[in-house]
Amino acid sequence: MSEISQKPRFEPGAFTPYAFIMPAIVVMMGGLLYPVVMAFYLSFYDWEIGRKLADAPFVSFDHFVRMVADPQVWEVLWVTIRFGFWTITIEMTLGVALALLLEKPIRGASIFRTIFILPLMVSPVVVGLIWRYLFDARIGWINYYLGVWFGIEPQVWLGDPQLAFFAIVFTDIWQWTPFIFIIVIAGLQALPSEVVEASTIDGANWYQQIFLVKLPMIKSILVIALLMRLIDVFRGLEVMLIMTGGGPGRSTELLSLHIYNRAFDTQQLGYASAISVLLIAIVFGISTVILTMANPMKSKSDV
Amino acid sequence: MKGLIAKGLLAAGALALTTGLAVADPYEKYRGTTIVVSWPALSHFKKAEELVAEFTEETGIEVEIDALQYLKLRDRQLLEMSKDEGEYDVVSWVVMWKGEYVSKGLLTPLSQFYTSGSLVDPSYDLNDVADAYLQNGGVVGGTKGYMPGKSGAMYGVPFGAETSILAYRKDIFEEQGLEVPKTYDELRDVMAKLHEAGIPALTSRGKTGHQVTAAWLLHLAPLGGKIFDENWNPVINSPEAVEAAQVLREVAQTGPKGIPTFGFGEAAAAFLQGEAAMHLDTLKIAAMSRDPKLSKIDGKVGYALHPVGSRCGSETGGFAAGIPANAPNKEAAFLFLQYITSKKGDQRMVELGGDPVRISTLQNNADKFDEYSVVAEQLPCADPDWRPLIPEWNELNIDVLGQALTEVITTDKPIQPIMDAANEKARAIMEREGYYVWQ
Repeated sequence: MSEISQKPRFEPGAFTPYAFIMPAIVVMMGGLLYPVVMAFYLSFYDWEIGRKLADAPFVSFDHFVRMVADPQVWEVLWVTIRFGFWTITIEMTLGVALALLLEKPIRGASIFRTIFILPLMVSPVVVGLIWRYLFDARIGWINYYLGVWFGIEPQVWLGDPQLAFFAIVFTDIWQWTPFIFIIVIAGLQALPSEVVEASTIDGANWYQQIFLVKLPMIKSILVIALLMRLIDVFRGLEVMLIMTGGGPGRSTELLSLHIYNRAFDTQQLGYASAISVLLIAIVFGISTVILTMANPMKSKSDV
Repeated sequence: MKGLIAKGLLAAGALALTTGLAVADPYEKYRGTTIVVSWPALSHFKKAEELVAEFTEETGIEVEIDALQYLKLRDRQLLEMSKDEGEYDVVSWVVMWKGEYVSKGLLTPLSQFYTSGSLVDPSYDLNDVADAYLQNGGVVGGTKGYMPGKSGAMYGVPFGAETSILAYRKDIFEEQGLEVPKTYDELRDVMAKLHEAGIPALTSRGKTGHQVTAAWLLHLAPLGGKIFDENWNPVINSPEAVEAAQVLREVAQTGPKGIPTFGFGEAAAAFLQGEAAMHLDTLKIAAMSRDPKLSKIDGKVGYALHPVGSRCGSETGGFAAGIPANAPNKEAAFLFLQYITSKKGDQRMVELGGDPVRISTLQNNADKFDEYSVVAEQLPCADPDWRPLIPEWNELNIDVLGQALTEVITTDKPIQPIMDAANEKARAIMEREGYYVWQ
């Protein structure tokens, strides 16, 4: 008993973990917290680049009031939600299906896997450029081959609201399905083979094996993948910026691209910051909901 | 280089002998100074790099060029110019930004250099610089803040300035037996006929935002429309404005595929690659069509005046260059600006494949290039009020008009309600910015 109380007050060892996470915390504070705090701060001011921030007039909650009544913000929010729905639904389905197909050792599986992962390695700016020229109305391959093979009239892919929306959804699926694929296939390969074998012995057919055995077992992985894609949908702007710039109209202007256009095209930095605060709130809300529904980290730490 | 120095020494010696005075070199004080220039990555400016090299050779002032895509210049320049000490000594702006730059106090008035006899070249002749260009790009604070007027002050000199002319394919017009359109009625007629013959008629910008608005403005001025009346009330739903939008819709329907995605580069490329019969936009197209790297149609292009509607009115746009308020080497920067826009510099720009800003240069080279005589004739019609260069213009241009006009060219909806709605939005912005406090 007394021995414990006589323990030295300062034990260097206890601080070691903190010393090791210190650099990470500093970087997070500087790189993450500071911009977020500044975004909050800016959203209460009417600042333009080229003037001193200190001289910017304080406008209190004006930007937020304006935002709530701004049909453009609701329009781009709706575009973002539609974009998220189509891309994530299709990407999850395709990604999981591909992973299940290539899970078993088939001939050339490794080649297929490499090919499927390639789009993920291309920088978003390059993806935007590649697809912008593929979809180009005048010189694009897509129009050319649609005409040569199917006799379809050239379409102005990126100049028509519906077609442009389709084009960015298509591009996103091309780029991000591999992400789901790679995560799911890693999860599937980590499954204990006994469980799968046991289900086979119990007479489960392929359908039961997938939907009642395999997928439920990788549920936490699917949730993480879904969460990351959802956040990406609200965060991503490079591809749209390059392919369409948000146009025609606002048909491909996702929330973050709208913020960018507001901030830099029309120089309303304060207002753009207010919309960023909305973006942070939405992403925070979505993450919280999903993580409360199924928290992969929690279940692991309980073990 | 050696030869030049030797020649220079000889000339200096000769002069010294004849006058008995030591020869002054206006650039001597600034020899070895490095100035940094921010300008767009456009054809005219790429050609100017050789002139810049000659400037360095002659004056000993080193020049570093920071070239960016032209619509990206503004953010970069604003950031740089709002620092206590900036990097840029010379900035080249799209004329529509001049009001914003000056209202934020970011530019140096050039008057402070014109008071210095050691800086101003007596043979420069500012009056020879096309007045439409000078007023539109360089003078700020006149009538309505952006037009010529007594309260105006000079902040920049035009370099890469432009007006609009019609460029057309002589071969196609001949083949189809078409007359070159002089009026808007004729233009619309020609567009329809070319379309019927299966030839994409007029290329145009059309990308959402700045680009589609620029395309519409090109038709608005000659058709007699304006953005504001005398009291800053927006009139973008006037019959003239709606007609201009109708013309733009017809252009998109009869022109090359993809106009709603075209920026300036794409619109020009469609013409230069032979996929459109006409180009009605900046005169820069002429020099571009002679550049074998850009063009497949050299020698087939004819030029005519911007067609006339209820009046003649071509655009006034392009670039002017000035000196930031926080520039580290202002005097060397002034010498640079003076050099590249001097009579000699202007003539060199023509030889290098760029566009002149001086009337004398246009006249002296009229027999060399087809478009020069057209430009000289067009310039008096260049309308300084074809778009309002007020600080609020960016928002109106991109957020209001840029959206409404996209709706015009990508749908078949009636135009009047679209423009009515845009007019309301424009009014709300002007109200918010306090334009109606005097009423």
